[in-house]
This record gives sequence, structure tokens and C-alpha cells, in this order.
Amino acid sequence: MGRALECVQRLARRARALTRARTLDAELDAEVRLHIDLETDDLVRTRGLSPEEARRRALVAFGGVERYKEAQRDARGVRWIEELAQDLRYAVRGLLRSPAFSLSAVLVLGLGIGATTAVFSAVHAVLLAPFPYPRADRIVRIYQQDGPTNRWGLSVVDFRAIEAQQRSFSAVGVLKWSDVPASVGGRTEQRRVVWATSGIFRALAVHPAYGRAPTPDDDRPGAPRVVVASDAFAVRAFGSAASAVGKTVAIDGLSHTIVGVLAPEVRRLAGVRGDLWPAFQLPTPTRRGPFGHVVIARLADGVTLDAAAADLAGISERLFPEWASSYQNARARFTPVPLRETIVVNARKALGLFGVAVSLVLLVAVANVSHLVLVRVMGRSREVALRTVLGATRARLARMWITESVVLAAAGGAAGLLVGALGLRVLVAVNANLARIDEARLDTTAVLFAAGVSLVVAVIMGAYPAALLLRRDLGTALRSGDRSVAGARRVQSLRGVLLVAELALTVPLLAATGLLLNSIVRLERVDPGFPPEHLLALHVALPAAQYADDSSIATLWTRALPRIREVHGIVHAGLGTAMPPDDPWDENNFDLIDYPVPSGGTQPVSPWPLVTSEYFAALGVPLLAGRLFGPADTVGAPPEVVVSRSWVRHYLPDGRAVGRQLIAGGCTSCPPTTIVGVVGDVKYRGLAESGDAVYEPLSQGWSRDVNLFLRTTGSSAEVGARVRAVLQSLEPGASLDGPVLVSDRLAESVARPRAWTALLASFAGAALVLAAIGIFGTLSDVVSARRREIGVRMALGATPRAIVSAVVGQGMRYALAGAVLGLAAAAAGARWMGSVLFEVSPGDPLTLAAVTVLLLAVAGIACWLPARRAATVDPADAIRVE
Amino acid sequence: MSDRADLLQGTLDLLILKTLVLGPLHGWGISKRLRQLSDDVLDVGQGSLYPALYRLEERGWVSAEWGTSPEGRRAKFYTLTRQGKKQLLAEQSQWRLFATAVEQVLRAT
Repeated sequence: MGRALECVQRLARRARALTRARTLDAELDAEVRLHIDLETDDLVRTRGLSPEEARRRALVAFGGVERYKEAQRDARGVRWIEELAQDLRYAVRGLLRSPAFSLSAVLVLGLGIGATTAVFSAVHAVLLAPFPYPRADRIVRIYQQDGPTNRWGLSVVDFRAIEAQQRSFSAVGVLKWSDVPASVGGRTEQRRVVWATSGIFRALAVHPAYGRAPTPDDDRPGAPRVVVASDAFAVRAFGSAASAVGKTVAIDGLSHTIVGVLAPEVRRLAGVRGDLWPAFQLPTPTRRGPFGHVVIARLADGVTLDAAAADLAGISERLFPEWASSYQNARARFTPVPLRETIVVNARKALGLFGVAVSLVLLVAVANVSHLVLVRVMGRSREVALRTVLGATRARLARMWITESVVLAAAGGAAGLLVGALGLRVLVAVNANLARIDEARLDTTAVLFAAGVSLVVAVIMGAYPAALLLRRDLGTALRSGDRSVAGARRVQSLRGVLLVAELALTVPLLAATGLLLNSIVRLERVDPGFPPEHLLALHVALPAAQYADDSSIATLWTRALPRIREVHGIVHAGLGTAMPPDDPWDENNFDLIDYPVPSGGTQPVSPWPLVTSEYFAALGVPLLAGRLFGPADTVGAPPEVVVSRSWVRHYLPDGRAVGRQLIAGGCTSCPPTTIVGVVGDVKYRGLAESGDAVYEPLSQGWSRDVNLFLRTTGSSAEVGARVRAVLQSLEPGASLDGPVLVSDRLAESVARPRAWTALLASFAGAALVLAAIGIFGTLSDVVSARRREIGVRMALGATPRAIVSAVVGQGMRYALAGAVLGLAAAAAGARWMGSVLFEVSPGDPLTLAAVTVLLLAVAGIACWLPARRAATVDPADAIRVE
Repeated sequence: MSDRADLLQGTLDLLILKTLVLGPLHGWGISKRLRQLSDDVLDVGQGSLYPALYRLEERGWVSAEWGTSPEGRRAKFYTLTRQGKKQLLAEQSQWRLFATAVEQVLRAT
């Protein structure tokens, strides 16, 4: 009890001491003054000393007044709070007194911290944030896999077998998606539609915010068609989510009843974005393929991933013989992969590159600001000396510097949040294809991250000057206020280390930018296979209900194409399912009859567009051998294909293609397909990929979903409008998208790598500027400090030229060291760049040489400016100054 | 300087309390009295005198008051409290015990 009371009293005293700090300090002053006065008088009286001498002795006997005051404050027990406040005030005042230093330090730190925070937010949203599903670690995606890295989707046959035989999952579902016309009240729009069985909702444990999820009954063929809508779709079409339930929407011409609406934040399920989620009524398969469906399952309680894998492998083996006529890959196994991993793998590379880049920028920024801080410490050595004489302890001085770094870093962190908000927007725009990146926010986690980074930065920046003060020899140099003492030279050598580090860190950034630039220039020079000028593409999707069979689609196009060709300004009009340069629409496996793949082996796969003969004329792709499709190629006729030149080069060693036969899609029971012609290459898998293609005539298998390619002579806008009018008059239910200029598509396909490169280039540029400023600043200081020496040398006959070369030489030594270290670092990281480059080796000597030259050139300019100033020193002036 | 303060730490409190037995004194007075009483052997490092005074005040063994010194200056006078007297007695007996023990050890051959 008594102890508690004592404790309270002590606290009260301390609080009083804190609030009355000023009064107490004043009292202390009075007491100290009295003591010294009385001691002086006493010495005069008893020892007969002169008043001056007496006073001096009294002061000496008393010891450092400052130190004494601090010891006294220590006794008060609130010293640290007082001092913290005092240090903060002092730091802020000090920083405001040198606005140029503070502003540049805050800007540089803001840039570094901001960029890091933006990338962290993206990484957090994409890679780290938990999935919004209960026990999400139990959710897997099932692939087919026949090698360590080669995996692909499943077919309806696969899904049915797994659903019927599996013993490892509490729920299994399958989904597939496509962009198809969806209409509400007569308004038709292209929408991302994801057909999903009820098992998807159960496996993910997702419930609509309004209405219900589909049930197994809804999945059965012939059941009334139901759909779950996204919140955005429901709000746009019906005004609110609640009012959408019970309404109907026509998907691909088929009427569906909306039974549920997802919550607004649920924009994707299992990483797949969708506007509409109709119940997937599985068709009855006639062959093992086509593959490409996404199967999602939830592990049952107590089942491990390995056990599930063994279970699935057994199913693959039992299933294989049943469908051997249409599928020959005996090695492929169903493999469960944790859902998180499936999404993370794609994102890791893209975000990894940015992560490394921003970390380098941050390091350069910190090195740069540390440098500025160090210069400031040196510049204030006299102040430090003065304070030491007044009795401030070394620890106290060191803490002052750390406080200043903390204030600086905190301001930098605040600026970093602003930069981060902007940077994140850029990052999201550049990487729009990454799942979940649209969820990236500068949230509490990001703010905490920025704060953490700032704190680490503060410690790094403040620690060295603080350590400097604590170490006796260097501290002496500083505290004596003398710049020429040996200790100060050590500081100079530390500046050298920081400089070299800045330069070395810049090199990998410059190298990566150079390699990417090089790669893009080559990518843009790639021949897409056709002249893209005056070529329009219009996407046409016909509603499924009215165009259920091939003949109805054929009839429409037989009527439409002649009328389109009549439109003024059109030279050719052809249809094709694929869209160069990066949408192959479909890929198919094949087996050449003359060069068969051994039984059980993996058959090669090629882009497989369906086209009309005029497609080649419209694009301007030359026929190199054989013929194009004849009018005889209709449904039921012997199947024919036209192949591309690179396809021939890849698969036919003798180069003779026309007349050879192949089995398409693994269908051994189908009649073999004959190659009738060879055409020029067109890129379908991206500009960086090969020009392989196997073209099948549209007349052998019509698609409701095609691109109309128009080769025009005149103004494309007018032509496009007229063609749209023709199609709308023939089929008002068609959903039309475009037309777009194919040249724009080509530009778009390199837009992302371009944006990447631009971003990286801005990082590299920032780092280079910082490093250059570092060199410039250091040499300028060296020149100022050695003015006298330079003057003496010139007086002794050194030419300005010799002076310049001496100063530049000193700076360039740093630059060379930095370049060498940086190149070593770049070489170490190069292997890692290989996968994002096109036709450029990661160790491309030309790029690395160019980067080195650039770095040295910039460093050279940064050295030359202070050197020139050194050469203009007037010897007489310089010597007189000291 | 600080080394000396540390050495005196244990006994400084006792000595200060003792000087105040005869009546209130200000800081310089205390140091002067100590020197007189010890024939200038004990010269308290003044840098540690005031912190010690503050410590004693905080513990409630001395109380402080501003007044006018014999020299006509405003000064802070320290007075021994009842608690301080008790503490002085306790520390005195403890010191004697300690001093006797040390002396005994030193006298042994």
C-alpha cells in the first residue's frame, strides 16, 4: 500500500518536474550561479587570489556546467522526454535552417520510399493478401501435367471422371469463360461470361450477397437456365443488386434467370474475372478434348495434397484407355496445385523485377542522403566542438544526429506515401493483366510498411555520423572543428565508399533498362507477317440461340460478305477466328502421318485459326506453295488445311508440305487432314514467338465468333461505320466490337513491355542523377577544402590543365570502381533477366558497354564542373585566405 | 569527475544529511561545511552535490525553500526532515558497522 502511494507521489513529482521544467531549470541556474559566486568570494578571502583567478578556479572546480545540468535533469527522471522534445525541436529548426539540404533529402527519400511502397502494395495485393475464401489454403486447381513445368487445363470428360471417382475433395467444380453478347431489355453488349458448375461455389465457399448460388440441379442439361450476376453488372443493368434477382438476361441469345448477385468486392472467383456466372450445363462429350477448362476443388478434412495427387493420378490412369482413340498422351496426370500458387507464379516475375528495381533505387537514395548528412556533419563540426566545450556528452550529440535523421526520414516517408499513391496507379495500369492487382491499395499495411522503411532508413543515415561522434579519434577530429585532421580523412574515404556504392547500384538498373530497350526495338522491328496499314478488324459475335448450327452461320456470311465487299473503299474482306499478333483463338495438337510421335508421347501443338480464303488476301499474306481452300471445302468434305512457312520448317525436315497428311486433335477415328498449301508467317502467339500456324477453312466448322478483316483504301472510320450498318441490317442481334486498326493492335501488343521499360528507365535515370549529384557534391567539397593546396601548386607552376586532370582523375577513380562493381552485380543478376528479353542475350556486350560509357560520361561531366572551378583558383587569393 | 562521484555515492547522502543536523544550509554552505569538518580532506565534487540534493529532496529526506542567504543573496536552503533524521540515524549506524569491520580487517596481520 505504502509503496503504491510512494509510486504515485513520485509520478506526480515527475509530472510536475516535466511541466515545470523551465522554472526548475531557472532555479538551477540561480543555484549554480550563487554557488560559483560564493566560491569565488571565498577563494578571494581565504587564499588572497585575484577575483578573475578565483572565478576561473571556481568554475573549474564545479566542472562542466552543461554536464552538471544534465546530471541534475537525470535525477529528475524525466530527462529523456524533455530531451526528446528538445532534440525534435532542434532537429526541425536545424533542418528548416538549411532548406536546400532538407528539401532535396526529403525529395530523394520520398522517391525511394514511395516507389518501394507502391511495389510493396502491389506485391501485397497480388501475392501476399489472403484469398477471400474460408480456409483458402485447402482450395486447389487441378491441371493435367506431363512434365515438371508443362501443364494445361482439363476437359469435360476429365472433370466428369474426377467428380465421379475422387475420394479426396469435399467439392469439385469446373468453369470456362468467353466474351459473348449478353442482352438486357434489347441492349446487347459483349460481356465476360464464366460458365461454372455449382461445385465452384461450394469449393470456394462463396455465397451471393443477394439470392442464392446455383445448385447441382441447375447444372443438369435441360434444367431451367440460371445465372449469378456480378454486382457491377446488376447495378448497371437493373439499377441495384437487390432488384436484379429474378430478372432475365439473354446470354448468347439464350434466356437466363438471375438467381443471385455477388457482393461488390467479389469481382473474380478463383482468380477469374466475370460479369455473369451462368450454371454450367455440361455437354455430352464425344472425344477426350477439348481441354482448357478450369477445375477447382476443396480438399476434404484430413486429406493432404500428396494423398489427393495420388488419388487423381489413379483416376488419370483408369481414364486413359477409355478415350485412347482421341487422346494419346499416356504420361499426363491430373495434378492438384494450391490455388495461391497458380496465381503467384505468373505475378512473381513481373513484380519481382519491379521489386528489385525499386530496392536498388531506394538504396541509391539512402546512400545519397547519407552522403548529404555526412557532409552536413562535417560542415557543422565547429558547432559540435562548441557544444562539447560547453559539456554536452558525446552520447547526447550522437542522439541529436539520430533525431535529425528520424525527422528527415519521417518527412521522406510522408512524401513517399504521396509518391507511392501515384506510383501504384502507374503500376496497376502497366500490369493490368495480373490477377488481383486491381485490389492494390495504399492501406494501413502499406502505411506501416512505409513507416518501417523510413525508420530503417533513418537508422542507416543517422548511425554513421553518430558512431563517428562516439568514436574517440574521429570524434576528436569533428569536435575540434578541424577538417584537416587524419580522422576527417577517414570521413572522406567513407564518402568515397558511398559514392562507389551509388554508382555500382545504378549500373544494374541502367543495364536492365538497356537490355529491355534493345529488346523492344527488336520486337518493334519484327515483321508481323503482313502490312498492317489500312487493315481493319471488326469483331462479330452472333447469338447462339438463332445460330445453333453451321449452316445458319454460313448463310448469314454468304449474304453479308458480298454486300460488305461492295462498300466503297474496301479491297478485300476475309474472316478469321484468330487476331494477330497475340491471339491464336485456339491451339490444337497434331500428329504427322509421315513422322508420327511415338505412342504415349506428347504431340506438338500449333495455333489453329479458322479462316476463309480471302483472309489471306485481306491481310496480304502470300501463298508460297500449293493452293488455298477451294469451294469444295464444306462441312463433311475431306478435311484440308493450309500451313505456315515456319510450321513447315519446324516439323517437316525436307520442307515439302503440300500433299502430306496429319491427324488433328488426336482424333484417330476421324479421316486424316491433308495439307493443300503453304502461306507466309503471321504471328499469333505474340511478336516474340514463332510464326507457326495451321489454318482450317471456316466452311468446315463455322464459329459464331469471328473477326472480319477489311483491307481498305480510303478513310477507315467511314468504311467501318458503313460495314457496321450492313451487318446490323442483316442481323440486329449480332454484337459488334470495333472496327479497330490492326496497326493499333500491333502497337498495343508492345505497349506493356514499353511501359515496363519506361518505368525502369525512369528508375535508372533517377539513380543516375543521384549518383552524379553525389560525385559533383563530393568533388566540389574537395576542391573547396583544398583551395589553398591548389593555389600553392599553381604558384609552383602547375598548369590549370594538370589541376583539372588531378581532380577529374580522383572522381573518375570512384566512377571506375563503381562501374566495375556494378557490372559484376549486373552480370550476377543477368541470368534472371533472360526470360523477359527478346533476341538479346542478358550479357549483351554492346548494351553493357553502352551502359558503362553512359555512366562514365555522366560521371565525367559531374567531375569536370568542380575541376574547372579548381583550375580558376587564383593562387594569390587562395594562399591569403587562411 | 564522474568516477569520483560514483565512489562517493554511498557516503555522500550520509555526509549531506549530517551537515544539515545543525540547521538549514544552502548548496555552497553544505560543501563549505563538509570541507571544514573534514579539514579539507573531503571535497565533494560540486557536480554531484546538487544531483544528490535533488535526489534527497525527491525521497523526502530534505526539504528545500528559497530564502535570503547571510551574504544577502537569494538562495535555496535545505532542511533536514523528520524522515531525513531517521535516515541519518540508520545510515550512521550502518556506516559505523561498516567502518569498524573494515578497520578490523585492516588491523589484522
